[in-house]
Formats: sequence, structure tokens, C-alpha cells
Amino acid sequence: MRRAVSSVLPPEQSAILAKAVRLEWITLVVMTVIIAAVGMAAGQSQAMRTAFVEDSLALLPPIAFLIGVARARKGRSPEHPYGHHRAIAAGHLVSAVALLVFGLMLLYNGLSGLAKGERPPIGAISLFGQTFWSGWLMIGVMTLSAIPPVILGRMKLKLAEQLHDKVLAADADMLKADWQTGLATVVGVTGIGFGLWWADSAAAALVSMSIVKDGFTNVRGAVGALLDRRAAPLESDEPDPLIEKLRDEALRTPWVAEAAVRSRDMGHVFHSEVFVVPVEGARLRIEDLEELHDRCRDVDWKAVDTVIVPVDGIPEGLSALDPRSRD
Amino acid sequence: MMVRIIVRVTAALISLVLVGCAEPAFPRDPDDTLERASGGTLRVGVSDHPPFTEVADDGSVSGDEVEIIEGYAESIGATVEWRDGSESELVELLDLGQLDVVIGGIASNSPWSKHAAFTRPYTRVVGTDGKAQKMVIAARLGENALLTSLDRYLIEKGLRA
Repeated sequence: MRRAVSSVLPPEQSAILAKAVRLEWITLVVMTVIIAAVGMAAGQSQAMRTAFVEDSLALLPPIAFLIGVARARKGRSPEHPYGHHRAIAAGHLVSAVALLVFGLMLLYNGLSGLAKGERPPIGAISLFGQTFWSGWLMIGVMTLSAIPPVILGRMKLKLAEQLHDKVLAADADMLKADWQTGLATVVGVTGIGFGLWWADSAAAALVSMSIVKDGFTNVRGAVGALLDRRAAPLESDEPDPLIEKLRDEALRTPWVAEAAVRSRDMGHVFHSEVFVVPVEGARLRIEDLEELHDRCRDVDWKAVDTVIVPVDGIPEGLSALDPRSRD
Repeated sequence: MMVRIIVRVTAALISLVLVGCAEPAFPRDPDDTLERASGGTLRVGVSDHPPFTEVADDGSVSGDEVEIIEGYAESIGATVEWRDGSESELVELLDLGQLDVVIGGIASNSPWSKHAAFTRPYTRVVGTDGKAQKMVIAARLGENALLTSLDRYLIEKGLRA
């Protein structure tokens, strides 16, 4: 697993990334066990079989993450002058679509179950010489299967914030969807036990709403990043604070009259251009530009790929966040 | 925070199990079929399919599945009200709630599974295609107390595929 450490990220982030990779492998193993257990407990219950298909979708984000990280680890080359960080963005799109499909399937199954008045049959089962209602088995399996996603999801959310990793964040959303669906099934099956045939469908439809919303937010974010939308923090539309920090750094330079920054999210790191308008009569030396460049790169580890562009005036459409004149 | 959530969920589940055990009829039927049939009448549709079921010209029924149903009905103190017909007709009546159970050599992979709840398989036979087939009894969809009680009877009698 040590090889997974990315050479293009600083040591601290590389260590976090290595932790995330380990966590994703654990997730793959744990989820496979859970999916197999749910599959076996499902028996002839249509509702549980649907849960089985949906759970399988939860494997997509970890797979997308591992492939994405393996790819993003490669450095810059003449064929890939911007590096391979976009692999993370592509992985985010895959995870986001998986999450959205998960939510939509759940919503459809819940609503169609209610509309058609489907009455899920749950009979008795004999295990280890004991005969009991198989609803109890489903409730037990679904409760146990909800615990690992809660723990893994919370661990990943923390790493996702430190790493600015949207695949991890989407995966955490997926795990949240997973345990919520599990608990909905517990409530639904219990309701069925009390003779409320609609309980399972209603519970599924209810939790699917927030999953669809999460899926939609993620798809929008992933597509936005691929369209070079302004870089934003995880699950937010606000400009990333890094943009303002870069601009401030540029404006702190004596020879800079005005500055504007555009940043796009490559996945983990940003690609930023700092446009600077020199003061009247300034005579720029290469060292001046280099010095500014170094300071900008040191603003944040995400700013590794930052270029300084001296210009006559700020390019159109790049209005400064809050125009401050410097006379 | 996490620990609190887990403790709460566990507490909720334990109380749920306790409620479930205290509850005499858990699972319950949405339409109380088992409650009505116990000590009353069990409405059973039977379609001719020897050796599982046989319907004579005079309307009398016999066969392995008929024996199972008669034994089951006795165990819940019900008398059986037989109704013969084709499988599709009977399953439709089952779907409409006019029958409680349908027998007639139905296999577990039969397409009726959308309209009827199958019990656990009570035996295994070789089907017309030479593959093993698991035989089941069809109960009304969603009447889970009835289905569970039928399953329990089959397990008690050691009838398994």
C-alpha cells in the first residue's frame, strides 16, 4: 500500500491519501461481505432483492476512487501537461451517477410499491433448528449491515475534507445512503410485521428523497468541475477560499497594481492562473515573477500548479472578487 | 456521538423485539386471514394436478397437497372450504382476497410469484424439463401471519425440499 503514496502531493497529504486508500480497500471487503449476507437473507423477498442490487452500486465509488488515485499518482509529462489529477474528477462523476441511480431506484421502487399496493410476503425460516419469522433475520442483518457504513462514512468524510477529495466525499454520501436505507428496511419490515403492508415501500420512498438530493448535488458538482467551473470547497458553490488567498498574495506585492485569479479543480489540486497588472512604469525582472510565483505556490498545498500571467489589464469576464484599488 | 446513536438504535431494537415477543400475533396479517380461519373456515383453491392434487368428478379432492392442507387446517382448528378451478382462475381469486390458499402442484419458479406468496418448498421433484423443481403452496400475498404459520407447519412436519 506504500506505493499508493502520491508523489505529486506533499508528504502530509500523501499520508492522508495512503490512509484513504487503505480505508477504501477495507470498504470494498466489508461491503462485499454485507452484500453477500443481504443476498442470502433476501430469499424470495422482492424488497430485499432490490436492496441487494442497490447495495451493489455502493461498490462503485470505492472502485472509482482506487482507479482514480492510481491514475492521478502519475506526474506531469509532455502528453499530459496538466498531470493526471482529472482522474479524480472522472471518478467523482462515476460515484455521483451511482449515488443518483441508487436514490432514483429506491424512490421508484418505493412509489411503485405503494401505487400498485404490493404486499411483500415474509414467511418463516428454520435456522440451526430454530423456527422463526424471517422478518427477524432481515431486521438483524440490516441492522448489523448499517453499522460499518456509519463508521466508514464518518472516517471518510474527515479525510475527504483534509484531502479536498470529492470522490471520497461522494463515497461518504453513498455510505450514508446505505445505512439510511438499511434502517428504513428495518422500520419497513417491522411495520410489515404489524400488518402494515405499505410500511417498507413508504420507508424506502422517504429515505430516497435525501439520497436523490445528494446524488443530484454530486452530479452537478462533478459536471461543473469537468466544465472548469470555478473551484469550490466540497459540496458548496461558494468560491474556494484559495482563490481569494492567491489574489491577496499577489496584491501584497509592491509592483502589482491589480490582480485577478481563476482556479479550476483538477481533483485534489487546483490549476490556477494569477493575472497581475504591474504598476505604472514598473520594470519587471524574471526574479520578481519567480518570487511571486513561489509565494503563491506556498499559499496552500492545493496551489502547486499556479502560473503568473502579467497583463496590461484584467481579462474580460474575470471580475475581481472585490475590486480594491491600490494607488 | 456515534456511541450514543448506536446505543439508541440498539435500545430501540431491543424494545422492538420485546414488543414483538409480547405480541401474540407477530407478524400480523393486513386482512387478519389467519385469525379468521383459526376455528373458522380456510378457503382453499385446488386445481387438478396429480399426484399433488386430484379433483374427482363428484368434487371430492385428494393428493399429497390436499393432505398437507387438511393436516394444517386441523392444526389451526379450521374447516376447509374447497373450490376447484384452473390455476390462473384460482390465483386471480387469491389475488382478490376471495381465497386464502391455492394448491395444485405449483413450483417455486412459477410465474405466479407476483400474485401469490409461496411457502417454503415442501418437496423436490423432477420437472418436465428434467431439472429439479421445488414444490410450494401459494398463500394470499402479504398475509404474513398465514404464510408464517403455513411455513411453521411444514417445518414441524419435516417437509422440506
